[in-house]
Amino acid sequence: MRRTIPLALTFIIGLYPIFAFFVPHARITYANDWLDEALVIVAAFALPLGTVNVIMTNTSKLKKKAKGWPYSIVLLCGLAIMAFYGLIGGTGVHPSFQWMFVNMVSPLQATMFALLSFYVASAAYRAFRARNIEATILLIAAIIVMLGRIPFGDMVTGGRMTPLSEWIMSIPNAAAQRGIIIGAALGAASMSIRIILGIERTYLGTGKD
Amino acid sequence: MKRPLLFVLAAVSLFLASQILSPPVFAQEIQGLRVHDTPGDGGESVTLEWEGGPSAFVTIMRSESRGGPFEEVGSTFGADGLYQDYVEAGIAYYYQISYQLGDEGYLTAQVGPAVARSNWFRSYRVNALILACLMFGLVIFYINAAKRGKDLYIRRIAGISAIDEAVGRATEMGKKIMYIPGIMSISDIQTIASLSILSHVAKQTAIYGADIEVPNKDPLTYTAARETVKQAYMEAGRPDQFREDMVTYITYDQFAYAAAVSGKMVRERPATNFLIGYFFAESLILAETGQSTGAIQIAGTAAPTQLPFFVTTCDYTLMGEELYAASAYLSREPILLGSIKAQDIAKAIIIITVAVGLVEYFFGSSVIKDFLVSR
Amino acid sequence: MDAKKLLYVDRRVIYLLVAIGALIPIIRPIGLPTVPTEPVWNLFNRIEELGPDDAVIISFDYGPSSEPELNPMAQAILRHCFQRRVKVLVMALFPLGGVNMAIGQLDRIASEFDGLEYGVDYVNLGYKDGAQAAMKRMDISIEALFPSDVNGDPVADMPVMAGARNYDDVSIVISLATGIIGEYWVNLVNAQFGVPVAVGCTAVSAPKYYAYLRAGQMMSLLGGLKGGSEYEKLLVDKYDFARELYETPEVKVSSAMAGMDVQSIVHLIIIVFIIFGNAMYFLMKKQEKEG
Repeated sequence: MRRTIPLALTFIIGLYPIFAFFVPHARITYANDWLDEALVIVAAFALPLGTVNVIMTNTSKLKKKAKGWPYSIVLLCGLAIMAFYGLIGGTGVHPSFQWMFVNMVSPLQATMFALLSFYVASAAYRAFRARNIEATILLIAAIIVMLGRIPFGDMVTGGRMTPLSEWIMSIPNAAAQRGIIIGAALGAASMSIRIILGIERTYLGTGKD
Repeated sequence: MKRPLLFVLAAVSLFLASQILSPPVFAQEIQGLRVHDTPGDGGESVTLEWEGGPSAFVTIMRSESRGGPFEEVGSTFGADGLYQDYVEAGIAYYYQISYQLGDEGYLTAQVGPAVARSNWFRSYRVNALILACLMFGLVIFYINAAKRGKDLYIRRIAGISAIDEAVGRATEMGKKIMYIPGIMSISDIQTIASLSILSHVAKQTAIYGADIEVPNKDPLTYTAARETVKQAYMEAGRPDQFREDMVTYITYDQFAYAAAVSGKMVRERPATNFLIGYFFAESLILAETGQSTGAIQIAGTAAPTQLPFFVTTCDYTLMGEELYAASAYLSREPILLGSIKAQDIAKAIIIITVAVGLVEYFFGSSVIKDFLVSR
Repeated sequence: MDAKKLLYVDRRVIYLLVAIGALIPIIRPIGLPTVPTEPVWNLFNRIEELGPDDAVIISFDYGPSSEPELNPMAQAILRHCFQRRVKVLVMALFPLGGVNMAIGQLDRIASEFDGLEYGVDYVNLGYKDGAQAAMKRMDISIEALFPSDVNGDPVADMPVMAGARNYDDVSIVISLATGIIGEYWVNLVNAQFGVPVAVGCTAVSAPKYYAYLRAGQMMSLLGGLKGGSEYEKLLVDKYDFARELYETPEVKVSSAMAGMDVQSIVHLIIIVFIIFGNAMYFLMKKQEKEG
């Protein structure tokens, strides 16, 4: 029963959207729309689950005075304050919540994103080596695209770098992206069929009967 | 000789008479207005079609009773010859079109009634239906073939073959394994594929006695990952070694999660990192941080934009469909291998279709191209 | 010279040089020229054809982490639409999408133009969950999906919605996207409903969108800060108000054109390091052979 019910549900609910993709009848799409909404609601209810885990883990750290316990205080205070102002704001946005978001959350997120520029530099330095022919082609293409994305490229080559860069992005790159997308889509379709038919069960936490 | 000549003369005369006697058809006048239920929809609309029409906007007018009163419901470019009006299903509607030609106003005759009804099939998706049936059919065929004992070959996937080596390395070094199952929810197929690999990795860590940590960004994935690891330890016969803090939920925020996991990598210096699932911009932050700590890294994703970052920073990368093939590769179960074979055949059919379509297009025909376009 | 030692230079040296390279153009702007490309021209020319009877949807499908990269193009497109008096429907299908931009700055940008009124010329419809489901519903009615705006006021009474009932009334959908939502707009809204879609995305996402651009499923693509700078350049070349506005310090410093100076220097540093790395690699090989 523990496995049968989830598998049966997976089969029915997995096939239904496929069926609704081809059948536009109002009775069918109504149920499909309901399923879409249900997924959103289930996901929203899962959020408290994760929040409870965060609170329990950090409270436990505090009690045991485990390594890094002062940071748990910071985390729990931040969680409480943001949740408080978010809730009293209702369906709108409380000014304090907005202030904290704009002046604390937003710059922190932007800072983390900005780290990528440093990591890209070190990864590029390590990865772009002309070890063989394919690596050399990759290296040359990368330099052309990098130069094509900045004004220097056109200044040095008399306006040729941007069209060349655009050609690399539009033709070889687009072709490769399409190949990967098609392959990944087929893989996803195959995996989805396995899940719907109950052949693939590892997501249930069980590998075998 | 005379009779055929007379016949030809009569035909020509009749033709000339028809041209003189029938009203002159100006190309801009709307002709042949008709309305019908829009095919292949859920009863949301009716469609007006006509020939001709001015090179200007025309006004669509609608009434629920023959004879009016008509109200304006929309406008469209006259030369388009087509207008889709969103209406209530089951109610009969009548239509007219008013338009200007120069200084003169025109009003077409009423057409109708048209009733929007729910249809049972989207005929414009028959191409997708064929492909879906083909895919299902191939999977079932090859699963049955596998069940009958047919040997199905699957090539070596370096990243998956390296899993055991990576777990062994962590055990020897006495350090933990960090498994990051992507940042998307369990509803994403890549996350499910990642959990199937997690099951195998967790089983190996249980057998070898290594430590594993699975930090999660999504709460649903967290609950599924916890059950997966717990079950893996039970199947390995080591349920006592499972700890609740092996699988944790960090935060729902993408970059806060990346910061937390990066911090863990730098402080705890795991021997092996698995980055398998759907990643976005945080992929490079995680992979590069892991690379800087000297960990062996095995990544896997079907997100084309993140593959380059993983390839440059990780020791092994599962690309696209290799990620989805992992569960079949690890278990070697014939049924799972059968589905991989079906996927390969489907890809071969698509390649041949594209190639034939390309050749056909070069010769000026676009039958295959038009058939493959879908809505 | 020990090539191996130079080859495996500490990554912190790279980080330091990148940081210096990023700081210098901020302290002392260079003002490098920008040449617009065809994908950006497509969107600009299309908006140039629009007027007060047309409506566009601008969907803020990015979060705070992508704001530095996408805010400049968002502002430039909004300014262009407001200049043409096109009706603008702002929404977000990405969690936290446009919380800063859409809520905080929309009114400020509209105030740069005389006679624009909220609810008449533009509206902020706020965030809606369930991206694909939300996109499907807008084919029937935008108002049904967004019965009230971001402030909770009913949109039924707003004149701007009278000319934007569903996709039939929308001239373009412009999705400023990070992640997968831009693809949803293309695969669903353009493919199924035929609405022209333009995407402004982060530079890292741009490669995947070229496939859709080449297939004609997208009418325009603005990739990263460069795409934003190209759009600003087109705006500045066409309109005097834009030329004056982008000369003011507070707008100039946060513009994409200023950001391109930083991007240019950092790209050059990376290229120099790549060339240096390859030179050391071949030198190391030579030294190993000789040794």
